[in-house]
Amino acid sequence: MAERWDRTRVLAMAPDAPSQRTAQQLASGRAWPLTGAAEAGAVWGECRGSAAAPYRTVVDLSGPAYRCSCPSRKFPCKHVLALLLLWADGTVRDDPGGPPDWARSWLTARAAKANRAQPGETAEPKDPKAVARRAEQREARVASGLAELDRWLCDQARHGLAASQKHGYAHWDDIAARMVDAQAPGLAERLRALASVPHSGAGWDGRLLEEYALLRLLAVAYRRQAELPAPLRETVRSRIGFSRRHADLLADGPPVRDHWQVLARRDLEQDRIRVRRTWLRGRKTGRNALVLSFAAIGQALDESLTVGTDAGADLVFYPDAMPLRALVLAKHDVIDGSPPAGGTIGELLAGYATALAADPWLDSWPAVLDVTPARSPVLAVSDAAGDALPLHPGTGECWPLFALSGGHPVTVAGEWTPHGLWPLTAWDEGGTAVPL
Amino acid sequence: MSTWQDLVTASLIGTERAGVPLAAVPGLPFPADAPGGPADPAALLLDRAALLTAARRGGRRAGRPEIGSAPLPAADPDPAPPVSQAAARRLARILRGEHPDLLAEWLAVAVARGRTAPAHLLPALLDRARRVSPADPELRRLAAEAGGSRARWLAGLNPDWRYVSAHTLADDDAWRLGDAVQRRGYLASLRARDPGAARELIAGGWAAAGPDERLMFVKVMASGLSLADEPLLEAALGDGSAWVRKMAAEVLATLPGSALARRMAERALGCLRLHQGRHGTRLVVVPPAQCDGVMQRDGISPGPSTLIRGPASQAHLVLEVLARTPLRTWTGEFGRTPAQILALPAGGWAPVLFTGWARAAIAQRDRTWITALVNWALAGGLPGTPSDVETLGELVRCMDPAFAVTGTAAGVLAAMLPGVREAINVLRFRYQMLKELHDDDSAG
Repeated sequence: MAERWDRTRVLAMAPDAPSQRTAQQLASGRAWPLTGAAEAGAVWGECRGSAAAPYRTVVDLSGPAYRCSCPSRKFPCKHVLALLLLWADGTVRDDPGGPPDWARSWLTARAAKANRAQPGETAEPKDPKAVARRAEQREARVASGLAELDRWLCDQARHGLAASQKHGYAHWDDIAARMVDAQAPGLAERLRALASVPHSGAGWDGRLLEEYALLRLLAVAYRRQAELPAPLRETVRSRIGFSRRHADLLADGPPVRDHWQVLARRDLEQDRIRVRRTWLRGRKTGRNALVLSFAAIGQALDESLTVGTDAGADLVFYPDAMPLRALVLAKHDVIDGSPPAGGTIGELLAGYATALAADPWLDSWPAVLDVTPARSPVLAVSDAAGDALPLHPGTGECWPLFALSGGHPVTVAGEWTPHGLWPLTAWDEGGTAVPL
Repeated sequence: MSTWQDLVTASLIGTERAGVPLAAVPGLPFPADAPGGPADPAALLLDRAALLTAARRGGRRAGRPEIGSAPLPAADPDPAPPVSQAAARRLARILRGEHPDLLAEWLAVAVARGRTAPAHLLPALLDRARRVSPADPELRRLAAEAGGSRARWLAGLNPDWRYVSAHTLADDDAWRLGDAVQRRGYLASLRARDPGAARELIAGGWAAAGPDERLMFVKVMASGLSLADEPLLEAALGDGSAWVRKMAAEVLATLPGSALARRMAERALGCLRLHQGRHGTRLVVVPPAQCDGVMQRDGISPGPSTLIRGPASQAHLVLEVLARTPLRTWTGEFGRTPAQILALPAGGWAPVLFTGWARAAIAQRDRTWITALVNWALAGGLPGTPSDVETLGELVRCMDPAFAVTGTAAGVLAAMLPGVREAINVLRFRYQMLKELHDDDSAG
């Protein structure tokens, strides 16, 4: 039968924290008079709700895909999550009789659809001329989009940023939408994120100017890409939103084999997509790597890299000016990791400066530090040399980090950004990694 | 870098009305512009800002004086080792919302074994204890104790957690000067260490205490109860506050050998007798005629229908008496084991007796009776109305957690009565939890 998931994987599917809570409350036998699972990878159940008829919930684990008769507009709804929690706990028994009719009909319809979809995936040989024409069209669209963005940015600087605080979200959403039309999704995302800057407190004007300036730099760099060295051109294009094909990646360079320490990870939500950023560091090579994984809202993110472990793996790096982003090509083994060697703040900043020289748009850099956290006058960490760095304002109170440290030095891994350190993992006295 | 501020100011005003300041970057010729810059002043401003942005980010120096200038005091080392990693993960699950009512037990076992909760979970633990239980000093005391010196250290940083120090103050400042919560915390913690000293403190403070505090006194006395507490509690049966009277009666009923327990046993034996008939022995119920003042003083509520002397109110009185009667009254008087007593036919009274005995077994924490009652239900003795099933679920929760993982009875019960499944899940969770807390191998 399908391997039972663990609870973490189920809870990771939840669209938000309240859903996780209600699902856990609902994951009790009392609410589920009928449950069952099938070897082929399906779980179903009837849940007593506020309505007279029970809600009928069915999950196809291969997708995972799910369906529930409740009116909730969250996907997956609490019933799906609760049912999977019960299944993960071993409370749902395999039912050799198979699913009841209402579940069977949905499951078979899904299976039929999946079979139909299969032949389409064997890609028809593409017409190379058509491919080239489409690529050319896209370049033209991006070029005109970037020219428009450049004009828009200069208009902001001409009329003054002081008006920004009076603009609504639409001000940035409009230009972002035009970048989507111009097939430059990377720029659209950056622009949408700017809408909150004018209300981000003291220093907002400087932060907004920084972003506008770096955006124009990107527009100029694209216009003059022929003059750029190949890796920098790659970086410019990927930041604009050109995607890179895995096949090209593999042809580009040899994979790097190492024992990769899984240092930290951070999950972000961007425009209906969840992004998991996992930071690795090679024990032998000392190289930093960033592995991204994506999932639609409601789908589980990749759990294969666990913080605190060492993964023996082959990684291929994207051919960027500052090669950081990588793909896991093959994973050989996973062992419990020991804490990484923490560095000093001076080393961190020097490393970031070198990376910026290669890629001025880089705003997230892996940090592994031996530091003592402090709270006043701002949340900060300081190292043995007396150097200090502020924590990112977005991290909140960061109590677990302080509790773990108790005023003593502690090894912390996280992301260094221009606005402060975002701590993600700390190691306790026993050497166990604790996600913060 | 004053040139950066100049650029920001110019950008706020706009190049329509402000000039573009020159950019200076140490190590680059001044002004630091790329050759062939744009003619448009707005574009020039953005280009200079881009250059300075990269220069400022890359050239950032650590240890700026305004940051981290005030180091925190270091926490004292904790002599108590942390719990095993498995137990720590279990605590994290409880704090995330799984079986939250098992938190107190997790903490109590950890404290009893001289172990501490993992440091990184303390913020969530202290928040939970603060939010959940302004009226439950026990959870706060347990959280404070399981948190050890690290929890006291944290309490010094966050006023929300200052209750921690109330539970760990070595002197009696919390008692003399503290607010209601701190006094309660101090008393509960003293009661756990030295029940006699806590009793003396209560006796000394009783006359001056308001009804809320007297109720708190009685609740605190419920743990570490002994016959030495009886005079104080017996006096509380005549208290001016109905809540204090009721709570005192409840506490006394669980005290073996108390006068209240003896009075209750007398009443109970008048209610329920063995009858040797031609068809064998059976139980006969004679409900009390009424709920007199003495009975009410002993905590028996007259029930919803004092005026209508119907069967419902009779059943209610029998149940109230049974629930407060020491269970060994029955085994002693009838000369039978709990299982044998349950096997006796009782006609239509069986569900009432079951509920009454179940409440008594839970209040008196009598495992033999609990097991007998569950087995009786398993053997089909229970009709299975929703309230019966609920009672059975409560009984199952009080069973030895091993019941959920060893015998097949648990599975049978869950299959037979879905309503009990939740109780068995809780039991299974508890079984794992206790195993992890007693397992020190993986202590990290």
